[in-house]
Amino acid sequence: MPDNNLEDFIRRNRAGFEEKGPGAHVWKALEKQLKDQQTPKVVSLLKRHWLKAAAVLVLVVNSVMIYQFLQLRKQQQNLGTLAPELQEAKMYYTSQIEEKLQDISKYPPEALGLDSAARKELELRNDTWQMLEKELQQNPGNERIRSAMIRYYQMKLDLLDRILEELRAKQPDIKTLKDHEREI
Amino acid sequence: MQALTNNLNPTPVTDQLVARCKKGDVRAFRELYDAYSAAMYNICLRMTGHVSDAEDILQEAFIQVYGNIGRLENAGSVTAWIKRIVVNQCLSHLRRKKVYFEEVEQVEMEEEEPLDEDGFTWTVSAVKDAIQALPAGYKTVLNLYLFEEYSHKEIAGMLDISESTVKTQYMRAKEKVRQIVKQRI
Repeated sequence: MPDNNLEDFIRRNRAGFEEKGPGAHVWKALEKQLKDQQTPKVVSLLKRHWLKAAAVLVLVVNSVMIYQFLQLRKQQQNLGTLAPELQEAKMYYTSQIEEKLQDISKYPPEALGLDSAARKELELRNDTWQMLEKELQQNPGNERIRSAMIRYYQMKLDLLDRILEELRAKQPDIKTLKDHEREI
Repeated sequence: MQALTNNLNPTPVTDQLVARCKKGDVRAFRELYDAYSAAMYNICLRMTGHVSDAEDILQEAFIQVYGNIGRLENAGSVTAWIKRIVVNQCLSHLRRKKVYFEEVEQVEMEEEEPLDEDGFTWTVSAVKDAIQALPAGYKTVLNLYLFEEYSHKEIAGMLDISESTVKTQYMRAKEKVRQIVKQRI
Protein backbone atom coordinates (compact mmCIF):
# COMPACT_ATOMS: atom_id res chain seq x y z
CA MET A 1 0.00 0.00 0.00
CA PRO A 2 1.52 3.31 -0.97
CA ASP A 3 2.27 5.91 1.70
CA ASN A 4 0.10 9.00 1.41
CA ASN A 5 2.41 11.46 3.08
CA LEU A 6 5.50 11.85 5.22
CA GLU A 7 3.62 11.10 8.45
CA ASP A 8 2.33 7.83 7.02
CA PHE A 9 5.76 6.88 5.75
CA ILE A 10 7.38 7.48 9.09
CA ARG A 11 4.62 5.70 10.97
CA ARG A 12 5.01 2.62 8.80
CA ASN A 13 8.78 2.65 9.07
CA ARG A 14 9.21 3.99 12.58
CA ALA A 15 11.65 1.31 13.78
CA GLY A 16 13.99 2.13 10.92
CA PHE A 17 14.42 5.65 12.25
CA GLU A 18 15.77 4.45 15.60
CA GLU A 19 19.50 4.15 16.19
CA LYS A 20 21.22 1.94 18.73
CA GLY A 21 21.41 3.28 22.26
CA PRO A 22 24.40 5.22 23.61
CA GLY A 23 27.77 3.55 24.19
CA ALA A 24 28.70 2.08 27.57
CA HIS A 25 31.07 4.97 28.23
CA VAL A 26 28.10 7.31 28.68
CA TRP A 27 26.87 5.38 31.70
CA LYS A 28 30.41 5.15 33.10
CA ALA A 29 30.83 8.92 32.89
CA LEU A 30 27.38 9.42 34.35
CA GLU A 31 28.04 6.99 37.20
CA LYS A 32 31.23 8.83 38.08
CA GLN A 33 29.35 12.11 38.27
CA LEU A 34 26.66 10.50 40.41
CA LYS A 35 29.25 9.21 42.87
CA ASP A 36 30.70 12.69 43.16
CA GLN A 37 27.23 13.98 43.89
CA GLN A 38 26.74 11.41 46.62
CA THR A 39 29.46 12.97 48.78
CA PRO A 40 27.60 14.63 51.62
CA LYS A 41 26.70 18.11 50.56
CA VAL A 42 28.40 19.87 53.48
CA VAL A 43 31.66 17.98 52.92
CA SER A 44 31.52 18.59 49.20
CA LEU A 45 30.78 22.28 49.70
CA LEU A 46 33.62 22.57 52.20
CA LYS A 47 35.97 20.87 49.74
CA ARG A 48 35.09 23.32 47.03
CA HIS A 49 34.92 26.44 49.17
CA TRP A 50 37.31 25.75 52.03
CA LEU A 51 38.93 29.15 51.84
CA LYS A 52 35.62 30.92 51.92
CA ALA A 53 34.65 28.71 54.86
CA ALA A 54 37.90 29.64 56.61
CA ALA A 55 37.24 33.33 56.04
CA VAL A 56 33.75 32.99 57.42
CA LEU A 57 35.19 31.15 60.43
CA VAL A 58 37.61 34.03 61.06
CA LEU A 59 34.79 36.50 60.94
CA VAL A 60 32.64 34.38 63.25
CA VAL A 61 35.51 33.95 65.71
CA ASN A 62 36.03 37.69 65.75
CA SER A 63 32.35 38.36 66.23
CA VAL A 64 32.28 36.01 69.19
CA MET A 65 35.31 37.75 70.67
CA ILE A 66 33.77 41.16 70.28
CA TYR A 67 30.60 39.94 71.95
CA GLN A 68 32.61 38.58 74.85
CA PHE A 69 34.33 41.92 75.29
CA LEU A 70 31.11 43.77 75.35
CA GLN A 71 30.02 41.42 78.11
CA LEU A 72 33.33 41.84 79.91
CA ARG A 73 33.09 45.61 79.87
CA LYS A 74 30.15 45.30 82.20
CA GLN A 75 32.17 43.49 84.83
CA GLN A 76 35.60 45.05 84.60
CA GLN A 77 37.92 44.09 87.40
CA ASN A 78 41.34 45.50 87.81
CA LEU A 79 43.28 42.77 89.55
CA GLY A 80 46.81 44.00 89.15
CA THR A 81 49.56 43.98 86.56
CA LEU A 82 49.95 41.72 83.52
CA ALA A 83 50.89 38.25 84.74
CA PRO A 84 54.30 36.92 83.58
CA GLU A 85 52.77 33.64 82.34
CA LEU A 86 50.53 35.60 79.99
CA GLN A 87 53.53 37.50 78.67
CA GLU A 88 55.22 34.18 78.01
CA ALA A 89 52.19 32.71 76.26
CA LYS A 90 51.80 35.88 74.22
CA MET A 91 55.38 35.66 72.97
CA TYR A 92 55.02 32.00 72.09
CA TYR A 93 51.75 32.39 70.18
CA THR A 94 52.83 35.60 68.48
CA SER A 95 55.96 33.99 67.06
CA GLN A 96 54.02 30.93 65.94
CA ILE A 97 51.32 33.00 64.26
CA GLU A 98 53.83 35.28 62.56
CA GLU A 99 55.64 32.22 61.21
CA LYS A 100 52.44 30.75 59.78
CA LEU A 101 51.45 34.07 58.24
CA GLN A 102 54.87 34.29 56.65
CA ASP A 103 54.42 30.79 55.18
CA ILE A 104 50.98 31.65 53.87
CA SER A 105 52.30 34.82 52.26
CA LYS A 106 54.56 32.67 50.07
CA TYR A 107 51.54 31.39 48.19
CA PRO A 108 50.13 33.48 45.37
CA PRO A 109 47.04 35.51 46.35
CA GLU A 110 44.89 33.56 43.87
CA ALA A 111 45.77 30.28 45.63
CA LEU A 112 44.60 31.79 48.91
CA GLY A 113 41.52 33.12 47.19
CA LEU A 114 40.48 35.49 49.98
CA ASP A 115 39.40 39.06 49.47
CA SER A 116 41.24 41.92 51.15
CA ALA A 117 38.84 42.09 54.11
CA ALA A 118 39.27 38.39 54.84
CA ARG A 119 43.08 38.64 54.46
CA LYS A 120 43.08 41.51 56.94
CA GLU A 121 41.19 39.35 59.40
CA LEU A 122 43.93 36.74 59.12
CA GLU A 123 46.56 39.20 60.32
CA LEU A 124 47.68 38.86 63.91
CA ARG A 125 46.95 42.38 65.03
CA ASN A 126 43.46 42.75 63.61
CA ASP A 127 40.62 44.75 65.17
CA THR A 128 39.80 42.00 67.63
CA TRP A 129 43.38 41.78 68.82
CA GLN A 130 43.58 45.54 69.25
CA MET A 131 40.40 45.57 71.26
CA LEU A 132 41.71 42.75 73.45
CA GLU A 133 45.02 44.53 73.97
CA LYS A 134 43.25 47.68 75.00
CA GLU A 135 41.08 45.78 77.43
CA LEU A 136 44.12 44.03 78.88
CA GLN A 137 45.92 47.29 79.39
CA GLN A 138 42.91 48.73 81.16
CA ASN A 139 42.26 45.57 83.17
CA PRO A 140 45.55 43.68 83.38
CA GLY A 141 44.38 41.40 86.18
CA ASN A 142 41.08 40.35 84.69
CA GLU A 143 41.20 36.58 84.31
CA ARG A 144 38.44 36.41 81.72
CA ILE A 145 40.20 38.89 79.44
CA ARG A 146 43.42 36.91 79.77
CA SER A 147 41.61 33.68 78.89
CA ALA A 148 39.94 35.41 75.95
CA MET A 149 43.33 36.56 74.66
CA ILE A 150 44.77 33.03 74.93
CA ARG A 151 41.73 31.59 73.20
CA TYR A 152 42.11 34.19 70.46
CA TYR A 153 45.72 33.13 69.87
CA GLN A 154 44.86 29.42 69.93
CA MET A 155 41.99 29.72 67.49
CA LYS A 156 43.98 31.90 65.13
CA LEU A 157 46.89 29.46 65.19
CA ASP A 158 44.59 26.52 64.59
CA LEU A 159 42.93 28.29 61.66
CA LEU A 160 46.25 29.25 60.07
CA ASP A 161 47.45 25.65 60.44
CA ARG A 162 44.42 24.40 58.57
CA ILE A 163 44.80 26.95 55.82
CA LEU A 164 48.45 26.01 55.42
CA GLU A 165 47.62 22.31 55.28
CA GLU A 166 45.19 22.93 52.44
CA LEU A 167 47.59 25.17 50.59
CA ARG A 168 50.37 22.59 50.90
CA ALA A 169 48.05 19.90 49.61
CA LYS A 170 47.09 22.05 46.64
CA GLN A 171 50.50 23.48 45.84
CA PRO A 172 53.08 21.18 47.42
CA ASP A 173 55.95 22.63 45.39
CA ILE A 174 56.01 25.93 47.30
CA LYS A 175 58.62 25.86 50.05
CA THR A 176 57.57 27.17 53.40
CA LEU A 177 59.73 28.11 56.37
CA LYS A 178 59.51 24.66 57.94
CA ASP A 179 60.39 22.92 54.69
CA HIS A 180 63.51 25.04 54.38
CA GLU A 181 64.40 24.38 57.99
CA ARG A 182 64.04 20.65 57.42
CA GLU A 183 66.28 20.79 54.37
CA ILE A 184 68.91 22.77 56.28
CA MET B 1 -3.59 16.67 12.18
CA GLN B 2 -2.67 14.06 14.72
CA ALA B 3 0.88 13.46 15.84
CA LEU B 4 2.27 10.08 15.03
CA THR B 5 2.12 7.33 17.57
CA ASN B 6 5.56 6.31 18.63
CA ASN B 7 5.51 2.55 19.00
CA LEU B 8 9.04 2.59 20.48
CA ASN B 9 8.15 4.08 23.84
CA PRO B 10 10.46 2.73 26.51
CA THR B 11 9.18 0.12 28.89
CA PRO B 12 7.32 1.87 31.68
CA VAL B 13 9.17 1.67 34.95
CA THR B 14 7.48 0.72 38.19
CA ASP B 15 6.54 3.10 40.98
CA GLN B 16 8.87 1.12 43.25
CA LEU B 17 11.81 1.76 40.96
CA VAL B 18 11.06 5.48 40.94
CA ALA B 19 10.76 5.39 44.74
CA ARG B 20 14.21 3.76 45.01
CA CYS B 21 15.66 6.36 42.67
CA LYS B 22 14.21 9.08 44.87
CA LYS B 23 16.23 7.67 47.76
CA GLY B 24 19.42 8.07 45.73
CA ASP B 25 19.82 4.34 44.97
CA VAL B 26 22.35 4.29 42.11
CA ARG B 27 21.54 0.68 41.17
CA ALA B 28 17.91 1.64 40.75
CA PHE B 29 18.98 4.63 38.75
CA ARG B 30 20.97 2.35 36.48
CA GLU B 31 17.74 0.40 35.81
CA LEU B 32 15.96 3.64 35.04
CA TYR B 33 18.78 4.66 32.73
CA ASP B 34 18.69 1.29 30.97
CA ALA B 35 14.95 1.64 30.43
CA TYR B 36 15.16 5.10 28.90
CA SER B 37 18.64 5.76 27.59
CA ALA B 38 18.13 4.38 24.07
CA ALA B 39 14.92 6.29 23.41
CA MET B 40 16.29 9.49 24.95
CA TYR B 41 19.56 9.15 23.09
CA ASN B 42 17.60 8.94 19.85
CA ILE B 43 15.86 12.20 20.70
CA CYS B 44 19.23 13.86 21.29
CA LEU B 45 20.65 12.42 18.09
CA ARG B 46 17.71 13.57 15.99
CA MET B 47 17.80 17.05 17.50
CA THR B 48 21.54 17.60 17.25
CA GLY B 49 22.65 15.33 14.43
CA HIS B 50 25.95 14.61 16.19
CA VAL B 51 26.84 11.54 18.23
CA SER B 52 29.17 13.32 20.67
CA ASP B 53 26.70 16.16 21.28
CA ALA B 54 23.91 13.64 21.75
CA GLU B 55 25.94 11.69 24.32
CA ASP B 56 26.89 14.82 26.24
CA ILE B 57 23.31 16.05 26.33
CA LEU B 58 22.05 12.64 27.40
CA GLN B 59 24.54 12.52 30.25
CA GLU B 60 23.68 16.00 31.42
CA ALA B 61 19.96 15.26 31.19
CA PHE B 62 20.28 12.13 33.33
CA ILE B 63 22.28 14.05 35.91
CA GLN B 64 19.30 16.38 36.11
CA VAL B 65 16.93 13.44 36.33
CA TYR B 66 18.95 12.00 39.23
CA GLY B 67 19.13 15.31 41.02
CA ASN B 68 15.49 16.23 40.62
CA ILE B 69 13.61 12.95 40.70
CA GLY B 70 12.77 13.62 44.34
CA ARG B 71 10.50 16.41 43.13
CA LEU B 72 8.58 14.18 40.74
CA GLU B 73 5.17 13.88 42.37
CA ASN B 74 3.53 11.38 40.06
CA ALA B 75 5.69 8.34 39.30
CA GLY B 76 3.28 7.48 36.48
CA SER B 77 4.41 10.50 34.50
CA VAL B 78 8.11 9.64 34.71
CA THR B 79 8.41 8.96 30.97
CA ALA B 80 7.01 12.35 29.95
CA TRP B 81 9.05 14.03 32.69
CA ILE B 82 12.37 12.51 31.60
CA LYS B 83 11.58 13.19 27.97
CA ARG B 84 10.86 16.82 28.71
CA ILE B 85 14.18 17.19 30.55
CA VAL B 86 15.99 15.67 27.56
CA VAL B 87 14.16 17.88 25.06
CA ASN B 88 14.87 20.98 27.15
CA GLN B 89 18.55 20.06 27.27
CA CYS B 90 18.55 19.67 23.49
CA LEU B 91 16.87 23.05 23.03
CA SER B 92 19.37 24.70 25.37
CA HIS B 93 22.16 23.12 23.37
CA LEU B 94 20.70 24.47 20.12
CA ARG B 95 20.34 27.94 21.61
CA ARG B 96 23.95 27.84 22.72
CA LYS B 97 24.76 27.00 19.11
CA LYS B 98 22.91 30.18 18.12
CA VAL B 99 19.90 28.46 16.63
CA TYR B 100 17.05 30.96 16.81
CA PHE B 101 13.40 30.19 16.52
CA GLU B 102 11.72 33.16 14.91
CA GLU B 103 8.24 34.09 13.86
CA VAL B 104 7.43 33.59 10.20
CA GLU B 105 4.57 34.86 8.14
CA GLN B 106 1.76 32.37 7.88
CA VAL B 107 1.16 31.23 4.33
CA GLU B 108 -1.48 29.01 2.86
CA MET B 109 0.16 25.73 2.00
CA GLU B 110 -0.96 23.63 -0.89
CA GLU B 111 -2.35 20.26 -0.07
CA GLU B 112 0.40 17.73 0.32
CA GLU B 113 0.89 15.41 -2.61
CA PRO B 114 1.08 11.67 -1.94
CA LEU B 115 4.67 10.51 -1.79
CA ASP B 116 4.19 7.94 -4.54
CA GLU B 117 3.22 10.76 -6.93
CA ASP B 118 6.91 11.36 -7.26
CA GLY B 119 7.23 8.09 -9.11
CA PHE B 120 9.90 6.50 -6.97
CA THR B 121 10.16 4.55 -3.75
CA TRP B 122 11.13 6.53 -0.68
CA THR B 123 13.62 4.95 1.64
CA VAL B 124 14.15 5.38 5.36
CA SER B 125 17.75 6.40 4.94
CA ALA B 126 16.83 9.00 2.30
CA VAL B 127 14.21 10.53 4.60
CA LYS B 128 16.59 10.44 7.58
CA ASP B 129 19.28 12.19 5.60
CA ALA B 130 16.81 14.74 4.30
CA ILE B 131 15.60 15.56 7.81
CA GLN B 132 19.17 15.97 9.02
CA ALA B 133 19.84 18.29 6.09
CA LEU B 134 17.00 20.64 7.08
CA PRO B 135 17.80 24.05 8.52
CA ALA B 136 18.00 23.74 12.33
CA GLY B 137 14.71 25.57 12.97
CA TYR B 138 12.70 23.41 10.57
CA LYS B 139 14.36 20.25 11.80
CA THR B 140 13.54 21.05 15.42
CA VAL B 141 9.89 21.68 14.73
CA LEU B 142 9.56 18.63 12.52
CA ASN B 143 11.29 16.34 15.03
CA LEU B 144 9.32 17.62 18.00
CA TYR B 145 6.05 17.07 16.16
CA LEU B 146 6.66 13.95 14.11
CA PHE B 147 8.92 11.96 16.39
CA GLU B 148 8.51 13.32 19.90
CA GLU B 149 4.76 13.72 19.53
CA TYR B 150 4.36 17.17 21.00
CA SER B 151 1.40 19.22 19.77
CA HIS B 152 1.90 22.42 17.78
CA LYS B 153 0.77 24.33 20.85
CA GLU B 154 3.31 22.61 23.10
CA ILE B 155 6.07 23.21 20.59
CA ALA B 156 5.09 26.87 20.34
CA GLY B 157 5.48 27.12 24.13
CA MET B 158 8.86 25.40 24.11
CA LEU B 159 10.29 27.56 21.35
CA ASP B 160 8.55 30.76 22.43
CA ILE B 161 6.97 31.35 19.04
CA SER B 162 3.35 31.37 17.92
CA GLU B 163 1.42 28.24 17.14
CA SER B 164 0.81 29.48 13.60
CA THR B 165 4.57 29.84 13.10
CA VAL B 166 5.04 26.26 14.27
CA LYS B 167 2.42 25.04 11.82
CA THR B 168 3.93 27.02 8.94
CA GLN B 169 7.45 25.83 9.73
CA TYR B 170 6.25 22.28 10.00
CA MET B 171 4.58 22.41 6.59
CA ARG B 172 7.64 24.03 5.04
CA ALA B 173 9.89 21.45 6.68
CA LYS B 174 7.88 18.62 5.18
CA GLU B 175 7.99 20.19 1.74
CA LYS B 176 11.73 20.69 2.07
CA VAL B 177 12.18 17.02 3.01
CA ARG B 178 10.28 16.03 -0.10
CA GLN B 179 12.46 18.26 -2.28
CA ILE B 180 15.71 16.97 -0.76
CA VAL B 181 14.67 13.35 -1.14
CA LYS B 182 13.69 13.92 -4.77
CA GLN B 183 17.04 15.50 -5.49
CA ARG B 184 18.97 12.70 -3.91
CA ILE B 185 17.17 9.59 -5.14
